[in-house]
Amino acid sequence: MILPEFDVLVPNTVAEACGMLSKYADKGVRILAGGTDLLVDLRRPIVPSEISSCDGCATHKTGNVRSTIDCGWWESDSSPESDRALLKKVQDSIHQYPGYLISIHRIKELRGITTNEKGSLRVGAMTTVTEIERSDIIREKWTALAEGADSLGSPLVRNRGTIGGNIANARPAADTFIPSVALDGVLVIQSEKASRKVSVDKFATAPGKTVMEEGEIITAIEYPAPPEFSGSAYYKLANRKALEICNVGVAVWIALEKPGGPVADIRVALGAVGPTPILAESVKKVLIGKKPDEEIIKKAAKAARDDARPIDDHRGSAWYRSMMVELVTDRMIRLAVKRAEGEA
Amino acid sequence: MKKLVTLTVNGITHELAVEPRRTLLEVIREDLGLTGSKKGCGIGDCGACTMLVDGVATFSCLMLAIQADGCNVETVESLAENGKLNKLQRSFVDLGAIQCGYCTPGMLMTATELLRRNPHPSEKEIRRSLSGNLCRCTGYQKIVDAIKAVAGE
Ligand code: FES
Ligand code: FES
Repeated sequence: MILPEFDVLVPNTVAEACGMLSKYADKGVRILAGGTDLLVDLRRPIVPSEISSCDGCATHKTGNVRSTIDCGWWESDSSPESDRALLKKVQDSIHQYPGYLISIHRIKELRGITTNEKGSLRVGAMTTVTEIERSDIIREKWTALAEGADSLGSPLVRNRGTIGGNIANARPAADTFIPSVALDGVLVIQSEKASRKVSVDKFATAPGKTVMEEGEIITAIEYPAPPEFSGSAYYKLANRKALEICNVGVAVWIALEKPGGPVADIRVALGAVGPTPILAESVKKVLIGKKPDEEIIKKAAKAARDDARPIDDHRGSAWYRSMMVELVTDRMIRLAVKRAEGEA
Repeated sequence: MKKLVTLTVNGITHELAVEPRRTLLEVIREDLGLTGSKKGCGIGDCGACTMLVDGVATFSCLMLAIQADGCNVETVESLAENGKLNKLQRSFVDLGAIQCGYCTPGMLMTATELLRRNPHPSEKEIRRSLSGNLCRCTGYQKIVDAIKAVAGE
């Protein structure tokens, strides 16, 4: 077995799930949605790096970090400093091995794509990426989200992976997260006692870190109704067409006052060029109130480039990413404008 | 502590006591002895473990058996009809879409789902739907051809 030991709880309602979250908080508890990230992260390292296994006692030969600390093996080290450092490391790793997973697949209220009479969209947190990809209404009115879904992982990942999980993981390159920032999505977050709403662009604070608190669960993402003469687009720049994480991802949502007319509002979200998806605020200053002609779009794309904070990594250099932010933003603004005018 | 899970696999319903941390792939291979489905990567990258869960192509290495409780599971063993390879399998053999065969169970299940959903897919649709299934041998073209041959009928 490749996974560490844990128990799985299967609640039927959100209230039940919240209750479990607080009840087992001190044992380490994680929400299991599609599992395409969590079950990968939970895999026991076959060769534990850094922390060696307990080889002194008969019961704990697995190299499992939890058993290593359980049997007190780390105490035998001589220097107090190294003991402390090791203990911290072990504790940190234990943090990754929750005692309980709460699998929320039975909760019906977390699923589904609905629009209300005002024309806004609600996507349940457990809605799979495939369901989003195949939703005609999302493709028509929240196009960038459909295009994000198209480009995420592979068909098999999309069949299991959920939008709630993709956003909750707070990775700066998450393909449904980036368009959700541009489309001004709002997360509905529930705890045992209360429910609150957090705008998607304020949700992540660092890679993997969010404003979520213990005992909370995302139940849905809501998107405002698109006004007339608005459109959106997402492009994932990557080396492969599938099973890939983007070098740069850009989502644009734009609203015009009338076809060919000045820009009423614009939101540009940049992915993989900062610790979280970035809402490029300076683009607004350049474009709002202006006619979106070639020159001004060029300027706006430059502004997006200035807002990006890319780093060098194995997917691309900061320099390359900066250039690509500008290029892709330019193209996506044009495409979104075309869509806003009903042409594409 | 083990938990009771009901799985219908290839038409037969099993009630099994499984450890919560075990994946659907592990339970089907080890407890039910259906070793057609393969484990390549165990992390959702290769698709060798693909099964249909309630009709949806699913990598069984990243699904806990507990999550499949009450589901209808189809594995590659369900494809043959009366002990004979079905059309799709036959087509894989005839057109050389199998070399080492390790990816084949996953490829067949992914293709089975596609053809149910869309009996006449274009080449583009075939390629896109296979994009989560890796093959180290065939270079994919023959797999695409084999599916096309069935889809064209
Ligand atoms: S073994 Fe499941 S995807 Fe590779
Ligand atoms: S035939 Fe060998 S991996 Fe596909």
